[in-house]
Amino acid sequence: MKLKIKLPPDGRDVHFSLPFGFTAQGEKCDGVFAADDIGIYIYTDGSLTAEYRLTDFAEFRCHRMVGTSMAQGVSENGGETAFCGFSQDMFLRFAEVMKLLEHYVRTGELITDTGEDEPVCPKCGMPLEGGNECVFCRSKGSVMLRLLKMIRPYRKYFFAAVVFTVISQAVWVFVPYLDRVLIDRYVTPKTDNVHGIAVIALSMMTLLAAAGVSDFFNMKNSFRVALNLGKDIREAVFEKSQQLSMSSVSKRTAGELINRISNDAAKIEDFVTANGKDMIVKLLSFIILSTLMFLINPKLALLTLLPTPFALILVKKLEHIMHMNYTRVWKTSVAHSEKLHDILHGIREVKSFGREKQEEERYSRYSLAFTKACIRGETMWYMTQPFAYFIVTAGNYLMLYFGGKMVLGEALTLGQLVQFTTYASMLYDPINWLFQMPRLLADASVSAGKVFEILDERSDVRDIPDPVRLEIKGDIELDDVSFGYRSYDPVLKNITCNIRQGEMIGIVGHSGVGKSTLINLIMRLYDCTGGEIRIDGVPIGDIEQHSLRSQIGVVLQESFLFDGSVYDNISYAKPQAGFEEIIRAAKIANAHEFITKLPDGYNTKVGNKGFQLSGGERQRIAIARAVLNDPRIIILDEATASLDTQTEKMIQQSLAKLTEGRTTIAIAHRLSTLSNADRLFVLDKGRLAETGTHKELMEKKGGYYRLVMAQRQTTKMRAAT
Amino acid sequence: MQTETEIYEADRLTLLDCDKIKLSRTKSGFLSLNYDGREYPRIDATRLMPFYSKTTYISLCYENEEKELREAGVIKDMADLDSEQYRVLEEYLSYKYYMPEITKVYNIRDNMQGSIFVKTDTTSGEKTICVKDWYQNFRMLTDDYLYVCDAEGNKYFCENIHKLDKKSRSVLEMFT
Repeated sequence: MKLKIKLPPDGRDVHFSLPFGFTAQGEKCDGVFAADDIGIYIYTDGSLTAEYRLTDFAEFRCHRMVGTSMAQGVSENGGETAFCGFSQDMFLRFAEVMKLLEHYVRTGELITDTGEDEPVCPKCGMPLEGGNECVFCRSKGSVMLRLLKMIRPYRKYFFAAVVFTVISQAVWVFVPYLDRVLIDRYVTPKTDNVHGIAVIALSMMTLLAAAGVSDFFNMKNSFRVALNLGKDIREAVFEKSQQLSMSSVSKRTAGELINRISNDAAKIEDFVTANGKDMIVKLLSFIILSTLMFLINPKLALLTLLPTPFALILVKKLEHIMHMNYTRVWKTSVAHSEKLHDILHGIREVKSFGREKQEEERYSRYSLAFTKACIRGETMWYMTQPFAYFIVTAGNYLMLYFGGKMVLGEALTLGQLVQFTTYASMLYDPINWLFQMPRLLADASVSAGKVFEILDERSDVRDIPDPVRLEIKGDIELDDVSFGYRSYDPVLKNITCNIRQGEMIGIVGHSGVGKSTLINLIMRLYDCTGGEIRIDGVPIGDIEQHSLRSQIGVVLQESFLFDGSVYDNISYAKPQAGFEEIIRAAKIANAHEFITKLPDGYNTKVGNKGFQLSGGERQRIAIARAVLNDPRIIILDEATASLDTQTEKMIQQSLAKLTEGRTTIAIAHRLSTLSNADRLFVLDKGRLAETGTHKELMEKKGGYYRLVMAQRQTTKMRAAT
Repeated sequence: MQTETEIYEADRLTLLDCDKIKLSRTKSGFLSLNYDGREYPRIDATRLMPFYSKTTYISLCYENEEKELREAGVIKDMADLDSEQYRVLEEYLSYKYYMPEITKVYNIRDNMQGSIFVKTDTTSGEKTICVKDWYQNFRMLTDDYLYVCDAEGNKYFCENIHKLDKKSRSVLEMFT
């Protein structure tokens, strides 16, 4: 990252120099923050206004506020000094400088080679993220081209559809020729050649039958392509949503993801069914019909096609407007789906707070907004449509006037004119279709854009090439581990510890101190921003994610049970498990007894989210699920927090069986839950403050002691009230 | 760690008496507070409802010895402060919540990949704001209030889009 952006006005030779817009007191200014290996120099409006020695500080940090942030130094005794304030676009650079300065005062090593900025798109300034082309600035055409490329596996059917459409179109082109022959040979000369008329009628009938058969095969193949394409898109988006890291997935609501998987894929499917092959066929029709018309009479053909360029200009103009309209439709549709999902997901809360009426009203508002956006888009379209149609068909009137004159002047036969007018009306079909394109294309390309947005997203937790498939024993080492959900805002700082195979570790600390974050890192749901985690001596980043997670058993506070039977839910961790294995797992989890009392035993449906079972029963199924795979590492994140004391005792027994001989990391607010832990890790402000057994930590009278005392006091007070 | 009194008082909203408040800026970049004789050397002021009101319900928080966040109290209405105190607090809040106001919207380009580029005039000058995931970051908080968060984390707002000029309104119409 480039950390020399604006040089000090006095030309001082420094290692880092960044512009800022606010003084330490928050007044607006034009400033430069500069630092070398001795000190920090603050220039405000062209002159040096403050100077600090690096050795006066033990820590450097950026404090993120709402609209601005400030760079600060913290002295040994905790005293803070603000150097300057800056807008958020400079945050990452300041955060990097602060990190490097802190590293320097801690280790004496000053890193000045910070490289260049990551390549950014010259157009929008967004990082290129390893690609050559900016995903945000790709042309609209490339989105559709990419969509067409997805048809490749079904090209056989696609071309079959094109061929049958061409046959059908060719038949329709031939019919006006027969009209001309009928008029010029048999009707106008008034011959009594009934045989000739019958042959023409029979030919027409045969041709129309052939067109019907072609249409059937055309639609059969078209649907096959479109439906398969829709399936591929749905599966690709779903697969991607499974592969993306937690941070990427949690950016979007479930409703939005559902919308992309179902609705957007369906729109693309519809577009391809209706228009995929038409693009080729209509273009071919246009070329063939125009050529035939020019062959019959170039002057009339020119008159017919005269308004087409004007129609094209209008199409281009409308394209943008329709795109905007359909984006709005998409936005309201997503908002509507999100709301629907949100309300149905929280139906218990809705009912228990008696908010059904309000939710009905809230849903109606979103539904109405969606309807209004659709009406607006369609109204806009149908307002311009008749006018556009008039422009397109204006050539028809010119052609009729001049064609009629030619027939009267015997420059053209009546049959030729009829053939010509039929071709002209047929020609308006592809032109009209082209005119429909802005609407169709806008609708489909908005959906295609949204689908590709997900497909192009790079997961920030990725396997290395040839990752290690490790048979885990259970040793875990954390070596100077730091992590922040935003890299500049660390939640965990410099955590170093070893967890031995088979050991049970309890993690304690206040809410928000980073306990769950720590286990998320061990499960590699996120990657550390500093330091390294090693499992059995192998860096966690080198282990295949699937191999790692399949050997970790997790029981969370609110375990999620999928809609299915008790059997399905336990076997979720190991689908190939035999029936006996499942029963054994249930027995370890103390779940077997209550399952036997259920009407359908292991085949009892647990219902949506397991609501037919009690909290304790759900937890025991979750424990059985965790135990089934014989994991080497067990993670218990507040596994008993939401249960009453009696159920907790029962679950504790299950957990004791589960954790036997396995490396276990448990988080619990109720400190008594961790009484059987071999060691306790006390986290404070993201740092590992204390480690030791319960007895050792109580004797130490530090943070853990205070936590225990506070909890005892609260319990006493509760008992007194 | 919470003291016994704090546990009992956790649910009580402590409204501060504006006559007893003495705020001043410190070299840490934060504020210091003397309230009725009690000293708080490092105070952070927060608008509790920043989108509804900028000068009412201002929370003053500090870190105790255990580095836990505690609330000294809430100023119900800054208008009750004397002019000097009002100025100190207002300056701090304007700095913390620095957010240029959008005064004109020239055009909006949608790249069809979830981002939009909004060419605007703001109280900090002309700027093209790049908004990623625009349906999340370019949104109406109420029927009037537009809130924008750009790709770099800068925030912008327009208190009432209906008061913008006609062209700006028509540009915004498709995206709001």
